[in-house]
Amino acid sequence: MKCHVPGANVKVLGRTVHALARFGDELYLESLPDCILLRTLNAAESAYAMVKFNKNFFSYFNYNYYSTEDNEGLKCKISMKSALNTFKSPTHMDKQVENLEIKLDADACKLIFQLKCRHGIVKTHFVTILDCKAMQAVYTKDTVPNRITSPQRILSDALNNFQSSDDQLTLEATPLSLILRNYIDCSIDLTKIIRTQITLKPAEFDSYVIGTETIITFSLKEFRALLAFAEALNLPLQLHFETTGRPAVFIVHNGITFEAHFVLATTKPDSTSQTTATQNTSVERKKRKDTTSTQGSVKKKPHLDMDVSKCLDEDSHLFNFVEIPDENFIESNNKQNGHVSKDNKNNSKVEAMDCDNIPASPTSKTIKSVFKRCFESTFDPRSIQGVILAENSDSD
Amino acid sequence: MKFRAVMIDAGPMREFSNVVTIISKLSKECVLRLTDDKLYFIVSEENSGPTPPILWCEIPQAMFCSEYQMLGLDEEHKDIYLSFSSGNLARSLVILKTAKSLKMKLTKKQCPCLTLEIEMPSTTSQQTRQVTHDIPVTVIPRKLWTDFHEPRIPDPDISIELPPLKQLRTTIDRMRTMTSEVVIRASAEGRLTLQIRTDMAKVSTRFKGLRVEAFGGPIDHSDSETETQMNEDMSRVCYCRVDAKKLSMFLSAEQISTNRTVCSIVHRKLVILCLTTDESVKLQCFIGGIVY
Repeated sequence: MKCHVPGANVKVLGRTVHALARFGDELYLESLPDCILLRTLNAAESAYAMVKFNKNFFSYFNYNYYSTEDNEGLKCKISMKSALNTFKSPTHMDKQVENLEIKLDADACKLIFQLKCRHGIVKTHFVTILDCKAMQAVYTKDTVPNRITSPQRILSDALNNFQSSDDQLTLEATPLSLILRNYIDCSIDLTKIIRTQITLKPAEFDSYVIGTETIITFSLKEFRALLAFAEALNLPLQLHFETTGRPAVFIVHNGITFEAHFVLATTKPDSTSQTTATQNTSVERKKRKDTTSTQGSVKKKPHLDMDVSKCLDEDSHLFNFVEIPDENFIESNNKQNGHVSKDNKNNSKVEAMDCDNIPASPTSKTIKSVFKRCFESTFDPRSIQGVILAENSDSD
Repeated sequence: MKFRAVMIDAGPMREFSNVVTIISKLSKECVLRLTDDKLYFIVSEENSGPTPPILWCEIPQAMFCSEYQMLGLDEEHKDIYLSFSSGNLARSLVILKTAKSLKMKLTKKQCPCLTLEIEMPSTTSQQTRQVTHDIPVTVIPRKLWTDFHEPRIPDPDISIELPPLKQLRTTIDRMRTMTSEVVIRASAEGRLTLQIRTDMAKVSTRFKGLRVEAFGGPIDHSDSETETQMNEDMSRVCYCRVDAKKLSMFLSAEQISTNRTVCSIVHRKLVILCLTTDESVKLQCFIGGIVY
C-alpha cells in the first residue's frame, strides 16, 4: 500500500492520531482497496475508536502498490507513541508539511511515514510493526432508538462545568431534556465531592430523537477526547445509543473523506448516589455487607466484573463486542456472594438479602464501603460481630 | 434552617465570582455566615485551631440579590454558619461571568448542600441551559460560632490609602522571588515603602503622595531595629514586617473592580488591608507582623 496525504489533510490525520492516543496505547492500521482504517482500543477495553479515511482523502492511493496477491487487506499494529512522534503538533502541521507519504509493504517490518516539509526538508519515520493483526468491534449504530446530532460546542461547553476530577458521566435522555451529571460511586465520600447536573433543551441540538428514555454512564476521559477532536475539526457530533449496558456510539464525519466512530461502554448509574434514595437502606445494606464478610475471592470480584462489563472480548483475530446480558452478570454475582456466605452462620438469610441488593453498576464499591466503614467515626464494632477484619484482608 | 437567594444582575454576579475566587486563593476552606442583611466569608488560619480570622469579607445582600430569604435556628440564633471548600465554590462560580441568573439554596441531599442553580445562555441558540451544582457543606453548630466573630483589633497607628493594587502586586511578586519577608513602612506624610533585605541586596520601592486617613500620634521606636533615614522624622513612621506570600495573595484581589484599598498598620504587630468596592463589599485581610 502506498498513499499520499495532501498538506491540509495531514492536519486532520494528525488530529485523528492525537484523539486516538487518548483512547489506547496501540494503533491498528488496516488498508482496504478503497480506504484506510485506523483503530484503537483502551486498556480496560471499555472504549474503542475507528476512523475510516476514504480514497478521496488521499491525493494518491494505491492499495496494490507492492502487488500483493492478498486481497484481505494489509494490517498492522504499531505503538501509539511512535505514531504520535510522527504527528507532533498537529495545529501547525498544515503550514509545515506539504505532503505525507505512507508506505506499507506486506513483507516489511516497518511502516514508513515520509513527511515532505517546506524548504525541501524530508522527515522519514520508520515505525516498527508490532503485529499483523487487525481488530474490530461489533456494534450497532443504525438501528438504535436514540440519536442526537449536536454542534460540538454545546457539549464541550457543558463539560466545562464539571470538575477535572470527575471521571464518569451519566447521561439521562428523555424526549424533553438531556441531563448530564457527574457519576458518583456510592463509596465516595459525599461530603467531598460536588454534584453537578446540566439540563440541556432539545432545541439546542441540530436533531434530537429519543425513542426510549434511558440513563447511561460512560467514561468522561474518552468523551472529552472525542469532543476535542470534533471541535478541532469543527464538525458536529452524532450520538447513537440504546439503553444501559449497550455501547454508545459517537460519530464525527465530514460526509466525504472520512468518518470516525467512537464506541464507549456504558454502565448503569448508581441509583443511591444521585436520586433521593433514603439513607436508611444504604446504611442497612452496608451493614449486611459487613456481616457477609469479605473473602479473598470477593476482593478479586471488582476486577472480574469490570472486564466482563466492558463488553469487549478479545479473539485471536477479531475483537467482538460480546454483550453480556445483565442476567448472567447477576448470576455470577450471586454465585460469588453465595459462595462467600457459606462460611457464615446466617447463610441463607444473607443470600436472600443479597438478591435485592444487586449492585447497580460494576464498580468496586462493595469492598470500598466495607473498609471505609471501619474508619467512620460512627463505626460500631458490635455491628460486625463474628468477623475478624484483619484476618480477612490477610487471607488474600 | 432555610436559605434562598437569587442574583440576576451581571455586574454583581461577576463581582461575587471574583470575591469567591480570591478567597479560594487565600485558603482551601472558608466559612460562610448568613445573616438578614449580609453575607460574610470568613477565613481562619488553616490548621491552627480557633485563631482570629485572617480574612473577613462582608457582602451586603441587598446590593447583590434580587431575592433573599433566610431563616435561622430560632429567634435567638438567627444566623447560619456554613463551612465548605472554597475551591469547590470558586470553580462552580467561574461561569457566572456569562450567566443569566444564579439561585443559591441550602438543601439536604443526603448531606447538607449549598445548591447553585445557574442559568446559562446557550452559545449557539436563543435557548438557556440549567447548570446545577451541589456543593457539600458542613453546618457549624452554635457552640462554635464564637470562633468566627469579627476579630477585635487594636487601633491602628496609621491608615494609608494604597496605590493601585496591580502596581503593588508586581512589586511584591518581584520581591518574593528574593526573600520571603517584606517590611511595609508608612509615614504620616503619605509615603509607603516596601522594603526587603537579603545578603546581597537591599531593595525598597517607594510610593509617594498617598492619602493618609488617620494617624495615631508619635511612634515609639525605642526598642526597635529601625535604621533612621536622613531627613525623616521617625516618630511619624511606622512599619511592620510581614510574610510576602500572604501579602501577594491578598493583592490578587486586583481583579475586583476596586473602589479603594486602605492599609492600616499597628506598629510592628499587624497589617490590616481593607478593600471596599462600589457594591459596598468589604474585604478585610489581617496579616500578623513578624517580630524577631
